[in-house]
Amino acid sequence: MILTVNGQKREVNADPNMPLLWVIRDILGLTGTKFGCGAAQCGACTVHLNGEAVRSCVTKVNRAAGQEIVTIEGLSASNNHPLQLAWNELSVPQCGYCQSGQIMSAAVLLRENPHPTDQDIDDAMAGNICRCGTYQRVREAIHKAAAMPMEGAKL
Amino acid sequence: METNGVSRRDFIRASGLAGTALCLGFYFPANAKKAQLVSANAAEATGFEFNAWMHIGTDGKITLTDHRAEMGQGSYQSVPQIIAEELEVDLKDIDVVFAKGDPKKYGSQITGGSSTIRGSYKRLLMLGATARQMLIMAAAAKWNAPVADCYAQAGQVIHRPTGNKLHYGELVADASKLTPPKDVPLKPMSDYKLIRKPLKKLDTPMKTNGEAIFGLDKRLPGMLFASVERNPRLRGKLVSFDSTAALKVPGVKQVFKVQMMVFNTTRDGVVVLADSTWAAMQGRKALKVTWDETGFEHVNTVDIYKSHQELLKTKEGLSVKKQGNPDAVLDKPGKKLDVIYETPYQSHAAMEPLNCIAHYQSDKIEIWGPIQAPDWVQGDISDKFKMPKEKVVVNMTFLGGGFGRKAFLDYPQEAVAISKQAGVPVQVVWTREDDIKQGPYRAGISYRGQGAIENGAITALKFKMAGQNIDHWSGPGRGKPNGSTTEGFLNPYFESIKNISFADVPYEMPLPNMWWRSVYASTNGFAYESFINEMALLAGKDQLSFRREYLKDERCQRLIDRMEEVSGWKARKKNEGYGVAITECFDTTVGQVVKVSRNAAGKIKIDKVWAVMDCGWYVNPDIIKAQVEGSVLMALGAATTHEITFKNGLVEQNNFYDYLMPRITDMPTVEVHIMENTADAGGVGEPALPPFAPALTDAIFDLTGKRIRKLPFNMNAV
Amino acid sequence: MKKLSIITCIAIVIAAITLSFRPQPVKEISYKAPAKDSIGSVKAFMAVYKVLMSARCMNCHPAGNSPLQGDDSHIHTMNVTRGTDGKGMYTARCSNCHQAENTAGLHMPPGNPKWGLPPANMRMVFQGRTPRQLALQLLDTKQNGGRSKAQLIDHMANDDLVGWAWHPGDGRTLPPLSRAAFAVQVRQWIAKGAYAPSAKAK
Repeated sequence: MILTVNGQKREVNADPNMPLLWVIRDILGLTGTKFGCGAAQCGACTVHLNGEAVRSCVTKVNRAAGQEIVTIEGLSASNNHPLQLAWNELSVPQCGYCQSGQIMSAAVLLRENPHPTDQDIDDAMAGNICRCGTYQRVREAIHKAAAMPMEGAKL
Repeated sequence: METNGVSRRDFIRASGLAGTALCLGFYFPANAKKAQLVSANAAEATGFEFNAWMHIGTDGKITLTDHRAEMGQGSYQSVPQIIAEELEVDLKDIDVVFAKGDPKKYGSQITGGSSTIRGSYKRLLMLGATARQMLIMAAAAKWNAPVADCYAQAGQVIHRPTGNKLHYGELVADASKLTPPKDVPLKPMSDYKLIRKPLKKLDTPMKTNGEAIFGLDKRLPGMLFASVERNPRLRGKLVSFDSTAALKVPGVKQVFKVQMMVFNTTRDGVVVLADSTWAAMQGRKALKVTWDETGFEHVNTVDIYKSHQELLKTKEGLSVKKQGNPDAVLDKPGKKLDVIYETPYQSHAAMEPLNCIAHYQSDKIEIWGPIQAPDWVQGDISDKFKMPKEKVVVNMTFLGGGFGRKAFLDYPQEAVAISKQAGVPVQVVWTREDDIKQGPYRAGISYRGQGAIENGAITALKFKMAGQNIDHWSGPGRGKPNGSTTEGFLNPYFESIKNISFADVPYEMPLPNMWWRSVYASTNGFAYESFINEMALLAGKDQLSFRREYLKDERCQRLIDRMEEVSGWKARKKNEGYGVAITECFDTTVGQVVKVSRNAAGKIKIDKVWAVMDCGWYVNPDIIKAQVEGSVLMALGAATTHEITFKNGLVEQNNFYDYLMPRITDMPTVEVHIMENTADAGGVGEPALPPFAPALTDAIFDLTGKRIRKLPFNMNAV
Repeated sequence: MKKLSIITCIAIVIAAITLSFRPQPVKEISYKAPAKDSIGSVKAFMAVYKVLMSARCMNCHPAGNSPLQGDDSHIHTMNVTRGTDGKGMYTARCSNCHQAENTAGLHMPPGNPKWGLPPANMRMVFQGRTPRQLALQLLDTKQNGGRSKAQLIDHMANDDLVGWAWHPGDGRTLPPLSRAAFAVQVRQWIAKGAYAPSAKAK
């Protein structure tokens, strides 16, 4: 089947039931998208499927056939999506493992709601677990990114 | 970006710069207490193997080695930040690589006990200062000028009288031939340009675009992915397995029995190897396995705590520390308190599930993974697989959290065993369920606190703890009291309270247990500091001024001043929901004030957490703040949302749907304050965890009159 | 589960008692049908009610803005909210986790192509509704998505998302009636006059 990943058409020969996560990581070799729970509980595997923040660990690859997928590697041209800039500005990551998912989730929030309130952030981001406890900075960074122009974004 | 260790030989081979780089490192002779600072040239002359801790090339490019694991606590930033300060270079001119496991080259590498900075900072300062001095000496010789007329700044040596400048790169050829000078003077703290500044972390950019390579992200040519169905019981044996269906799953290559060694016990498993993680997991689901269920204690959580209570009520236990005679005081009538606190078993549940890559070859074993203790893994694998240490190469990747679990040796050993039998490199991937269900866990511990008050003052304190002892897993220690019984409790109490005793009532249970962030302080702190709060109430005093009377030490007094000041402690009203606790952990003292209230729905809500940390000498205040924020959240989860329980000896939790992590909606506002002083460095990654639970429950008591002595508790049900 | 069955037992007993009270017709039905039978109609509705209030149905017809989860109908973790179209908000869109079919395994996300809550402007709350309140609500075109009685029957008997309740995936209990038996009761309730139980029915 053909997937469009980060703007590039990729031919994939995989079990149609294989979750998109493992296709992305083990077949396409894009390891920025993480495995955290395999049960849509933690959000570490979040990618954009036609612009929606799907949990790739429970999304079978056949759902993505012929569709547009964006992973953390393709969120911006040079790590310059406003969220990436804000994440760097505020030193959000600790271990960093959940952060691809946090950023991919936050990107959908900002697209839908360019100036989210704290409540909006709660409504959007509670599906992404961070064991290191970076939530306070995630919140600040989303507010900070909301105040930046969307130049680096490629959504 | 991948960050493997670079030996000088590799580096020289790669760069073709033989003899023209300044390489400095330490040599840790087995019998010497002090590390020796050596240069590569000297190392070659004396013939011992050398790994550059610091490498400066003729292009001026600086490569520094991080000898510790980076699991979110910031060593990748703080180690170079220290060296760069004395070396007089900008952080942006530095590349950081992770060391391989080798205690001879790096000393202890275990990232645990919050030890990265407190254990190495003086050595790291000296490393930077010595290299700088050698570069200055080389420049002075070139200019034929006195060394005293030269100084270093921003990667250059400058001749003060003429303003002549030479880049480090132009000096390394000469500098590398010098003998490292001894006792180079270090900068006074007031001259620091990098240390104590909130510099941005070097690893952040690669953690925002997916570039950082964690253990699970590493790939080797020809590598197979492995998933292991393990006996749900430690020491559990395999009776038989049927791999017919598993081998039919497309992508599955091999299925065989494997044993994971956990100290002196083993856990049988059946491994499925495949060309993708998913295929391995599917193959595993298709296995039919029969386990030996006999000979296990089918323990239930409720029985564990019943046994603890029984022990605490009937046994005096083994004395750990005793002064005066608390029993004599407690025998007399008067104002007394006698209560029991209970803390739960906890999983580390790092976001990156356990995983490890091993490549077993006949003459070499190489490992890549999220590993907290590469030197231990090297020693252990060398031992178990009869391979000389120098042939066991342990590469650290970034760790997606560790919290103590990734300092364990079981999962690398299992990966090597699998690679050995499979004959190919393998990546063993644990599922979240494996990670949560197989332990080892922070042990659940119960405590009994007894105390007496006379004239508003403590006249006796008696603490006993009952719970599994980690030391009993590593072999020795049985029959001896748990030396960590007093961890978390502040030393100055021993100065001011005449009659104190701590005892450990040994409790044995064949459940695997292990260090968990802040180790015993994480549970001790809850019991001891809750008890101090209860004693303050009994004495009719407010919790902070009560502590002032006992913590006479000057640093403690200042810490309390700061806690009062930042939290508005004195302006608070009665029963407004303020709680407090102060604990010590890994040479750092942290005090926290927690404020709670009820929200519109009548549920308890944490309004604010004020944390004051006294960790002495420190590197990066922003990393400290992040560590405190994270410690508070981890403590909140352990106190209110998750615990590991056992039914018939099996773990009842599976994944994040029944081991519930706090989410962004649960994050309280944490305000962090750092005490400024010149004392020796203490730990940063763990010490802010222990005081949170006792401060929170104290705040809830202040608001509601309800004293919580058992963790975890449901905040929505208070 | 035990609690639920006790509650439903009580509900049946109470329903039986209340049947002796005179229920009121909701409104005149306009088509020829089997003779009106208020007792039979209400009895059928009480059977329907038990199904609608089971976790499989009620969890997506919550009183608040968050869906419910599990046989104990706890509030969905992750602070999931309804959104305007009932399909969630921002990052927490239902279909981000819930696929077109159930994901295999215990506690894995159940799925259906139409997975979601009723939209914000037509919330169709079941949770907390008494039998009478729910019957009136179901028949009120302003509250039932503009459905005629025939459409209501069709929805309950044939809708694919409603039908998910009988194929809920691993580890989830089924509603107390089979789908066919449920459809029979819905038809009878309507056919016999679409009476709402008395206010005292529980």
